[in-house]
Amino acid sequence: MLFWVKTAALFLIRSKRTSVVLTLMVISAVSCLIFLSSLAMGVNDAMIRNSVGLFSGHISGYNIPSNISNKDLSVKGVANVLKRVQLPGFIHVKNKMEMITLIGIDPAQELKSSAFWKKTIKGRFIQEGTNELFISESLSKRLGAVCGDIISFSQQARLEHGFLKKEFVVVGIYKTGISQLDTGISFCDIGTLENKQSVWDAAIFLQDGVDIDMILQEYRNKNLDHNNFKTWKQLMPDLEQLISLNYFSMTIVIIVVFIIVSLGITSAFSIFILKSIREYGIMKVMGMTSKETVFLLCWEVFLLNIVASALGIIVGVLVVLIFQTIGIDLSAYTSHNQYFIVSGVVYPRLTIYSVWLPPLSALLFSLPAAIWPAIMVSRKNAAQILRGA
Amino acid sequence: MINTKNISKTYPSGRGVVNALCNVSFSTPKGATLAIAGKSGSGKTTLLNCLGGLEQPDTGEINCFGIDIHALSKKQLSHFQRQHMGFVFQFGNLLSFLTVEENIAFPLMLNKVLNKKEIKKRISSLLEKVGLSELSSVLPNELSGGEMQRIAFARAISHSPKMLIADEPTANLDTETANKLVQLMFSLAKEENCSIILSTHDQDLIKLADQAIYLFDGRDATNG
Ligand SMILES: Nc1ncnc2c1ncn2[C@@H]1O[C@H](COP(=O)(O)OP(=O)(O)O)[C@@H](O)[C@H]1O
Ligand SMILES: [Mg+2]
Repeated sequence: MLFWVKTAALFLIRSKRTSVVLTLMVISAVSCLIFLSSLAMGVNDAMIRNSVGLFSGHISGYNIPSNISNKDLSVKGVANVLKRVQLPGFIHVKNKMEMITLIGIDPAQELKSSAFWKKTIKGRFIQEGTNELFISESLSKRLGAVCGDIISFSQQARLEHGFLKKEFVVVGIYKTGISQLDTGISFCDIGTLENKQSVWDAAIFLQDGVDIDMILQEYRNKNLDHNNFKTWKQLMPDLEQLISLNYFSMTIVIIVVFIIVSLGITSAFSIFILKSIREYGIMKVMGMTSKETVFLLCWEVFLLNIVASALGIIVGVLVVLIFQTIGIDLSAYTSHNQYFIVSGVVYPRLTIYSVWLPPLSALLFSLPAAIWPAIMVSRKNAAQILRGA
Repeated sequence: MINTKNISKTYPSGRGVVNALCNVSFSTPKGATLAIAGKSGSGKTTLLNCLGGLEQPDTGEINCFGIDIHALSKKQLSHFQRQHMGFVFQFGNLLSFLTVEENIAFPLMLNKVLNKKEIKKRISSLLEKVGLSELSSVLPNELSGGEMQRIAFARAISHSPKMLIADEPTANLDTETANKLVQLMFSLAKEENCSIILSTHDQDLIKLADQAIYLFDGRDATNG
């Protein structure tokens, strides 16, 4: 056994040129696929990051009783909990009126974790402790309101005395491209509304790589009503599907590439072996059995692949790490896509899947590559080989 | 004792069949040297291939040391070859990816009889006998034709086979080198008590052998 491994290794080492060509083939296939699958991971990450990062967070909390604070929701793995309150009502400016939901937010915290404020197209985002208002472009058009205008908000359609009536200054106009955010809501500082509300909403942002189900479990352990929480997967089933689709197509690409690579290896290997067929003939004459021939050839392919895959992993991982720090700007391909609403920069990410699937497929698919030349060699009559036929 | 009886072999060819061997019979005792002589195309290679189990004769019997080698299964034949036979061909005998000593060790490794130390000892004694001790770690492509054939011979007898088949081992050598090689082979084979069956078309070499058979168009023409 050890003898055959050693013989196989010597065969590869001393047939340098052919081994190098085959090795380069496997290295490039493995490293390319590591990069491609890491890129697919990065695209998935970017879509999730963009979708949850814009406004809703990884987990959205609804109607949370005010005796529960955002500190209670900040369990381990949570990066930030944004507190928001809703107040439905009417906006009046000049002679126009629109029904909206006013959302009270903490501007400083929003700047830290969410991204919809980056979608400001006129003016600026609101500041803490002011009566400033941040409205969507469509609302500003319908009201004919511009930055600097004073706007009244009340919970009643008719402006009567005795009901809450508040005045706000429009300081910023935004447009996200997502209809839920662009119609029917406006933002103000939570301080102007908070005391009127008995429940609040939460946008919960998780740290990178944290399992969302663990956080939900943690909430359940804290006796929080799980009906109050919805994950991005529940809120955006289309995105979850898109991500599964991405995984699926990546796996198919890997398999197809390796079917092609293994065909390449098979033919290169067959040529390799045909070129040195006399040597196999000599070994056969010395009493090497068919089984041992197959064994030797399989070891040759196996060793070549192990070495080449290892090198391929190193090259692939290095390339991924480089692009992970630089980032790949795909804005040109994503600017009209809701899943890349904040940024089109993708950061490839290595996973167990992206590092091990390519070399594993390389092995799996190239071992059969040894079988056909092995059969060819062991079928061929030694006398024929040695006569040079 | 190697015994053959009425071996015949034909090959299909463009114009009907070629009678490569026709009713060839001979026997040679263990440790003896036998020369097969004949012009090119007379059937020498065919006869040696049949003797070594590389080709199947159409009819006739071949019995090597009590074993009908063509009655063996493929696997049994491989094991018989690795234990009891050695081969030297006209050219390209050595495995190009193994050094001289690794080449000589190959049959020993296949047979798994000797341990590492014994193998080392056997290799150095053989290299000394063929006079190439200094070439032990050289790759075959650095050897001259005569050196290659001497190493091929050392490898062919390394596992102490009962018989050595040498198909025109001197064909690519000059007369002097050829003569020396055959003398070396015959004397070492005697030392090891190994039968040699060697084919050649060189009259001088035939005289060195204990026994000789002349082939003419596949027939034994020794007495004709
Ligand atoms: N595979 C083959 N197919 C057809 N004819 C063959 C084959 N091998 C050998 N022959 C023929 O058989 C005859 C004997 O060949 P061979 O044994 O090689 O002779 P030698 O070794 O004495 O030169 C020759 O006529 C040769 O052409
Ligand atoms: Mg011949």
